[in-house]
Amino acid sequence: MKIAALYIDAQVADRPDTLGIRRRLGVPAKMVANADDVYADVAAAEDPIGNGKQVLFLTRNKGAFLKDCPGTRHYTCCGYRILHIGSYCTMDCSYCILQAYFHPPVLQYYVNHEDMVRELEHCLSEPGIKRIGTGEFTDSLIWEPWTDLSRTLTLRFACQDRAVLELKTKTVNISSLLDLDHRRKTILAWSLNTERVIRSEERGTASLNARLRAAAQAAQAGYPIAFHFDPVVITDGCEEDYRQVVKRLFAAVPPEQIVWISLGAFRFMPDLKPVIQRRFPDSRIVYGEFIAGLDGKARYFKPLRMKVLRSLAQAILSQAPQTCVYMCMEDDEVWRHALGFSPAERGGLARMLDEAAVRHCGLNAGSCRS
Amino acid sequence: MASDGGLAEAYTRLIPLADIDPGDERFRITTRRDGDTLHLSLQRIGLLAAPLVLPRGPGFILVSGFRRVDGCRRLGWRTIPARVLEAQTATYACALKAVAENSLERSLNLIETSRALLLLEQHAPAGSIPSEDASALGLPTHAGLAAKVKTLCRMPEEVQAAVLEEALSFAMACEIGQLEEGPAVAFARLFRRLKTSLNKQREIVTLVSEIACREGIDSRAVLSEPGVLGVQDAEDLDRNQKTQRIRRLLRQRRFPALAAAEDHFHALRRRLKLGENLQLAPPRDFEGTRFTLTLNFERLEEVGRLRAKLDELVEHPDFKILMTGKGRGFAGTSGP
Repeated sequence: MKIAALYIDAQVADRPDTLGIRRRLGVPAKMVANADDVYADVAAAEDPIGNGKQVLFLTRNKGAFLKDCPGTRHYTCCGYRILHIGSYCTMDCSYCILQAYFHPPVLQYYVNHEDMVRELEHCLSEPGIKRIGTGEFTDSLIWEPWTDLSRTLTLRFACQDRAVLELKTKTVNISSLLDLDHRRKTILAWSLNTERVIRSEERGTASLNARLRAAAQAAQAGYPIAFHFDPVVITDGCEEDYRQVVKRLFAAVPPEQIVWISLGAFRFMPDLKPVIQRRFPDSRIVYGEFIAGLDGKARYFKPLRMKVLRSLAQAILSQAPQTCVYMCMEDDEVWRHALGFSPAERGGLARMLDEAAVRHCGLNAGSCRS
Repeated sequence: MASDGGLAEAYTRLIPLADIDPGDERFRITTRRDGDTLHLSLQRIGLLAAPLVLPRGPGFILVSGFRRVDGCRRLGWRTIPARVLEAQTATYACALKAVAENSLERSLNLIETSRALLLLEQHAPAGSIPSEDASALGLPTHAGLAAKVKTLCRMPEEVQAAVLEEALSFAMACEIGQLEEGPAVAFARLFRRLKTSLNKQREIVTLVSEIACREGIDSRAVLSEPGVLGVQDAEDLDRNQKTQRIRRLLRQRRFPALAAAEDHFHALRRRLKLGENLQLAPPRDFEGTRFTLTLNFERLEEVGRLRAKLDELVEHPDFKILMTGKGRGFAGTSGP
């Protein structure tokens, strides 16, 4: 969706990033004393969730920029760290949890980058491998038309050997990154799905072809690549559809450049269901065979997701046996069925991913170069 | 009252029954239309309270006393005493009187309350009912509740009938009322036959609606499937049994893999012959990994017997199937 209105927190009005975004965006700006003014305007719309995607609010992040991935104890989490650059998204996926996560959801971008840099420097100075990503509360690359943040972060990560940055997206906004000396410390990652799911559930996103073309370009530019089949949506015939996507993926990107591929079956907080029913009346995504998971989220009945995840994992591993394939938020039973082992047998999921990052991105845990 | 209701004076006089327009029911509140018992009372005791009418054109329209006038007509009376309002009486004042003559005499049912609210709102000078008026008439004053109640009398007649029969609760009627007319009537018809609880109604509506959405068909098509119709028409089943079977059928249709896994599990568990002092429960919805065994005993000897039973259980091939077949929904391991 196109940004129709810009709100600026009066406290950040004169910052260079604010001025730069304002200039590039070219829409009328409104100064506000606090976020409540923005929320009130967004909430007054007939569809606040849709409206929040067209309103950009430039402000300060008053909390932490670096956060742990919000996993739960019942299912295995990857131990990822989130760099909280902003929130919400201009694309409109029916299943997006951000619709029910913020009240009301508003596209926010944080411009107090000196605080972000301070936190990031501290994190990078600590020993141990770190995997950091910006694509948890937003799409990493929707900000490209108005900011240089991904470029700046890519260059910063290129100067150290302990951490990788993962930029996760459903866009093709990579042109500003292709010429950078990234030193393989930034992973460009695409969320993938079947043509059918993209068409019916992922409004405003790049097509599968376009995503794979962008991934191929990024691979040619030497970037390590990752893919996320998340959410895997279970429908009649979906296994064959996902196999076709895997085939096209490997036709676009050589396996040796793929750091990891994650698989995650569609799951959602109960609050999201009425939102999807209201905003996407033609979507059938919430009418699968869902049960209440141990973390309170709705999940596909376990044997169904085990079958589809196994089929997808086999499709990937039959073409690229060395690829690090992992499950997002699943238990050992699902892991064993789909992949033949549990994370603990390989030292834990975090370690598996750290090792993949070391292998593909040339990390060095003991390195002092930060 | 906050309105001018008290200013619209009426005087009583004899008027020809034929002068009252029988087709004008704009002020009708009551849902009862059976004049059987009332006309017998009228015949024996006479008309104790004169109906209230408003002059309109050459005749009158009724404001209050619809059942009494029906009864008089059945008795073939030619004239009746009626309280006649001033011709210029404001419509809202007439509406207030129409409601008051019902609500202050007896409890209104939900549909009557709905009609009363709608009638008042349609004619209220400012477009909304002054809360003092609603309160004085014993009508709901909470805006949210009143808004929901008002929708009832606009729902299809079969839904209203289900509410009047108390086959459909207010909450459920509001939910069904949001559906299109066809599905709403189909649900109302089903619940008039089943007369089941709110929770079970809600479960049935959710299951049917979600099956319909998933398959891109109308809810009526789901309710008209042979299995569901067959249970409804089964003469050897009582209402509870019908409700239970319909819920089961719909659940199997909505969650086929889960329902099949439950069936497989129960069949395997039956083959274990656990007896009444040993219970085996699966993880909820087969999502977790831990099964639960419950042992019931009073005496030491019973514990000994249970221990022996547990030893047997551990070696039982079907128990192993239960432990290992969960991820496949127990299907394809060993048929029940």
